[in-house]
Amino acid sequence: MDNLSELLHGFTIAVTVPHLVLMVVGVLLGILVGVLPGLGAPNGVSLLLPLTFGMQPVSAIILLSSMYWGALFGGSVTSILFNIPGEPSSVATTFDGYPMARDGRPTTALATAFGSAAFGALIGVILITFLASWVAQVALAFGPAEYFAVYFLAFASFVGMGGAAPIKTVVALAIGFAIAAIGIDTVSGSVRLTMGVDELVKGVSFVVAVMGLFGIGELLVAVEEEFHARAVSSKIDWREVFRAVGRLPRHGVALLRSAAIGCWMGITPGGPTAASFMSYGIARRFSRRGRYFGTGEVEGIISPETADHAAGTSALLPMLSLGIPGSATAAVMMGGLMIWGLNPGPMLFVDQKDFVWGLIASMYVGNIVAVALVLLTVPVFAALMRIPFVVIAPLIVIICVVGAYSVSNSYLDVVMMLGFGIVGYLFKKLFYPLAPLVLAIVIGDKAEDAFRQSMLMSKGSLGIFFANKLVTCLIMAGIALLLLPLVLQLARLWRKPASPATETTAQEKVII
Amino acid sequence: MISRRALELATAVLTGGFGVSVVVSSLDNGIGWSSAGVDAGTFPFLTGIIIVLGSLYNLVRGVLPVASLANVPIAITPIELRRLAGLFVPAAIFVAAIPLAGMYVASSLYVFAVLAIPRHQSVPRALAMAAATALALYVVFERMFQVSLPHGALAAALGF
Repeated sequence: MDNLSELLHGFTIAVTVPHLVLMVVGVLLGILVGVLPGLGAPNGVSLLLPLTFGMQPVSAIILLSSMYWGALFGGSVTSILFNIPGEPSSVATTFDGYPMARDGRPTTALATAFGSAAFGALIGVILITFLASWVAQVALAFGPAEYFAVYFLAFASFVGMGGAAPIKTVVALAIGFAIAAIGIDTVSGSVRLTMGVDELVKGVSFVVAVMGLFGIGELLVAVEEEFHARAVSSKIDWREVFRAVGRLPRHGVALLRSAAIGCWMGITPGGPTAASFMSYGIARRFSRRGRYFGTGEVEGIISPETADHAAGTSALLPMLSLGIPGSATAAVMMGGLMIWGLNPGPMLFVDQKDFVWGLIASMYVGNIVAVALVLLTVPVFAALMRIPFVVIAPLIVIICVVGAYSVSNSYLDVVMMLGFGIVGYLFKKLFYPLAPLVLAIVIGDKAEDAFRQSMLMSKGSLGIFFANKLVTCLIMAGIALLLLPLVLQLARLWRKPASPATETTAQEKVII
Repeated sequence: MISRRALELATAVLTGGFGVSVVVSSLDNGIGWSSAGVDAGTFPFLTGIIIVLGSLYNLVRGVLPVASLANVPIAITPIELRRLAGLFVPAAIFVAAIPLAGMYVASSLYVFAVLAIPRHQSVPRALAMAAATALALYVVFERMFQVSLPHGALAAALGF
């Protein structure tokens, strides 16, 4: 097995003292941003980004990805103990996690969540280990047309499976593309969409957008409903931890099903949030104890947690092997890769073996570190939640302002960040998805370049997208996904012609 | 009080307006096909059109009395609006003050103001937190990571 020997080589890179230290630091920072409402994995990772410019790429990615794992775990801590999701992807964990903790079983709830999360992450990493290099090998033969088709498929799958209202997703995606186009056009060198503002020539950095959309936007959503952090006891009973983890295999079906949903949603970019909601919904429908869901059911915790982490982990697969991030955080990391001078995509597996396999190996180790650290630090971070929100909120505002400024020392970026904050609030409030917007900002240019290069090759004929079997299949699959919501709508109308059209999506229904 | 419908409309108008400005501005770069391939304005032009069309759809959906939207008639209550303003207005003043006062002075004033004025914290504690914020920013950015934060026009006038 070629992959296994590469993986072993990766472990020799990942398991060194400096990298283990980075993992611990990353995970702790990640849990911190995961716990604090208003700070999430995407802006946590973008905040750290400027600090990694002096590092080796492999060390930098280990730090950033560990932060991602930490944030995924940290989000569940507050969901379970306070009924406040620290991350959008852990909203579904509150449904059964908090009731169970309130019933006096916080340790069981936390241990179940972390155990199933670790299982989900493990499945995701195993998938990456065996599939990523194969996908990359296939992708090596891709030309611009195939690349554009893959990008198209990724964007279409957001529309078809993202769980938000399809047209809202389309609008969010297109806005992201337009923002990506601001500044100097890489192909012709002409300046685009600056609308007369000279400072916009450098373009709009995704970091600025992420700080505003996820930072300020989420803060505004959080301040709106003045929550009281009424914690249930956050004491950890270690024997119960092992007992709860020991009981997990009894729910093997739920674990495997949720991991499969998570991996699928992570790779096809549906994202962790959509994955956890979908997994929870399916578990409620298929579980024999489905009607008890919402009262502290074990499977109600297992399903969203496993899917959340499986999706979060496997979102790195398309990022590494195709250059298409599967979640907002993966998009930010990919932006980092480009800043470090790496070219995300199949060539990584040829040119940067140490980087790729070091990262994959660190994902195994990092998740173990994350489970251990999160269990150990639950009381500390639970105490942090008792700091009044009015004290934390201005600090987060300052962090976002400084973060936006430090990208390119531009005051305009700070003002734009605040503007993105309002947009983020409106979008969140009205269930416009934010992940596709960020994704489009990060890879919009690449998608456009691929399109224009294929047009050059074909001398302006769209026929190039149907020139061979592979590219035709990809384009057709993309179109099918784009049309999927429409077809479902029509099918619903056909079955029940009198029923009024509903615009609420699964996620909205759950939240409302 | 802001209804969900009004919020949907406002957002659709906002995205639609952005779409229109993208379309107009992309025309400067030329759309279509030239000797150098696809013109630079083509891709933005198309995305602008998509934004405009999508916003129109969302606008219409926002106006039509859809069952699910009727269930949540109120999106933001007056109390919530006051809380939102309570966070956003000071933050906006803080950002506006940066060019003049610089990051350090502006951020410590900001922390002091939001903590002490609504009496969330006592004045001495708010002062201490404000000072700690500025110090932490200075140590982390100016010292550890050599990132120079804006010092402001005031500091420049005083000769820093």
